[in-house]
Amino acid sequence: MNRREHNIFQSACMLLTLLTILFIGGNIAVIAFRGIRSLPECLHQPETLFAVYLSIKSACISSILCFLLSIAVSYVLTKTRFFCREAIEILLELTMSLPNIVLGLSMLILFSSPLGKALKSAGFPVVFNSSGIVLAQLVVNLPFAVKLTSTAFRGVDQKLERVAGLLGATQGKCFFTILLPLCKNTLISAFILVWSRALGEFGATLMLVGVTRMKTETLPASIYLDVSTNNLGGALASAFILLLISAVSLGIANHLAKANRKLSRYES
Amino acid sequence: MNHNTGCLLEIQDLSVRRGNFLLEHINFSLQQNEIFSIIGKTGSGKTLLLEAVAGFYQPDHGKVLYGGTPMCEIPVFRRHIGYLYQDYSLFPHMTAFSNIAYGPKIQGVPKAEIQARVKEIAAQFEIEHILDQYPGTLSGGEQQRVALARALIMRPSLLLLDEPFSALDPVTKRNMYDMIQKIREDFCCSLIFVTHDFAEAERLADRIGVLIDGRLCGIVKSNELYSAQWGLEVLDFLGITTKKSEGLQ
Repeated sequence: MNRREHNIFQSACMLLTLLTILFIGGNIAVIAFRGIRSLPECLHQPETLFAVYLSIKSACISSILCFLLSIAVSYVLTKTRFFCREAIEILLELTMSLPNIVLGLSMLILFSSPLGKALKSAGFPVVFNSSGIVLAQLVVNLPFAVKLTSTAFRGVDQKLERVAGLLGATQGKCFFTILLPLCKNTLISAFILVWSRALGEFGATLMLVGVTRMKTETLPASIYLDVSTNNLGGALASAFILLLISAVSLGIANHLAKANRKLSRYES
Repeated sequence: MNHNTGCLLEIQDLSVRRGNFLLEHINFSLQQNEIFSIIGKTGSGKTLLLEAVAGFYQPDHGKVLYGGTPMCEIPVFRRHIGYLYQDYSLFPHMTAFSNIAYGPKIQGVPKAEIQARVKEIAAQFEIEHILDQYPGTLSGGEQQRVALARALIMRPSLLLLDEPFSALDPVTKRNMYDMIQKIREDFCCSLIFVTHDFAEAERLADRIGVLIDGRLCGIVKSNELYSAQWGLEVLDFLGITTKKSEGLQ
């Protein structure tokens, strides 16, 4: 590539970058500038406050469940050898690539079956109930969380665990004293990402629990309802709240990832 | 574990496959308090052999008997083996003190005793001044001494060292040679170390095994390394054929 070709290539890349930034930034700017205007009014409405409360509550519960499960699954996938390990990994990746609405549909069918009816009579109704939101978020996020935690576990040098074992640590002690502390920051930042995804989940929730004001109304559901009833201000205010929460959680996740990179440098 | 026979470790016709590499038909034994060295080129399977001896891999054939018991049947945390990796593998999130104290702490030794034992071993390895530091801030020699202290505080019967001196400068290397001899005397343990440095092996080991392409071509006393009857492969590796032909010219 000669100098002139190089300059043209570089200029073209820069132009495309600028267009991309304008495209993404434009969307963010619309929500930020228009949403902030409607925010004070909407914050006094019980529907918005309910949506914020339900979103945060369900995202917290589903993320904690999701992380506990993903840590166990990732440990099995990364630290043990068994014949169908690859099949499980493919299954998880397939679930991750499926649209959320498809996962919601499958859950709707599953929990409308005698199993769902049995759960309902046992005091755990799922379909068209707020507890279903947690399950919808869980099923959507679990493969993603497993991927993140597996990557974190694989990043820890196996030699450290071997040395710990020879020093007398059982697998459990090794997990709590070596693996978990070394992945701590990555896991926290992954938890935050999973939590933000749970907060914004809509497709699977829509299919499983529907959208009912003050009952199954999360922030994304609130946006959907507001747009349906031509309340654009309310929709933008809810979108702004989501944007704010995402920005804060992204900031924390990035900070922790940076701290973990520092630790890795010490390791080398 | 039976230590009366004098034989601590016995490798019987051991074969281990990792990917395309095959470590085949390895036979040797290790006596109590012996230093045994395995020399070989890069990629000859030295580290794999050491890891197989530690029981990290299930043998495809043959056995590793440790005190008469197959190594793989002994749970990792009950093997009483010290292992020093080439990069020392110190726990990066712990200080040097916590690294050394890790083993006793895991085994539930009282805090006061841990303090005393760590201080004692730190004095032996002259690392008292770096106990509060994290591994990332230590030099290669310091890291190695911390790793040795961490392994030896557990009083292992067997210490396995993977190219322990390859990353050290000449002065630190010489100090570490003396330390290895001291370890044998003070801790009464047997040592196996792998290296590609013949001089190092001759100086430190009682016996030397030559590993070429996954095969142990022979074992000799360290003072017989150059005088033993070797095949062409080993002679070539030791550079003896080259020397002879240079002499003829």
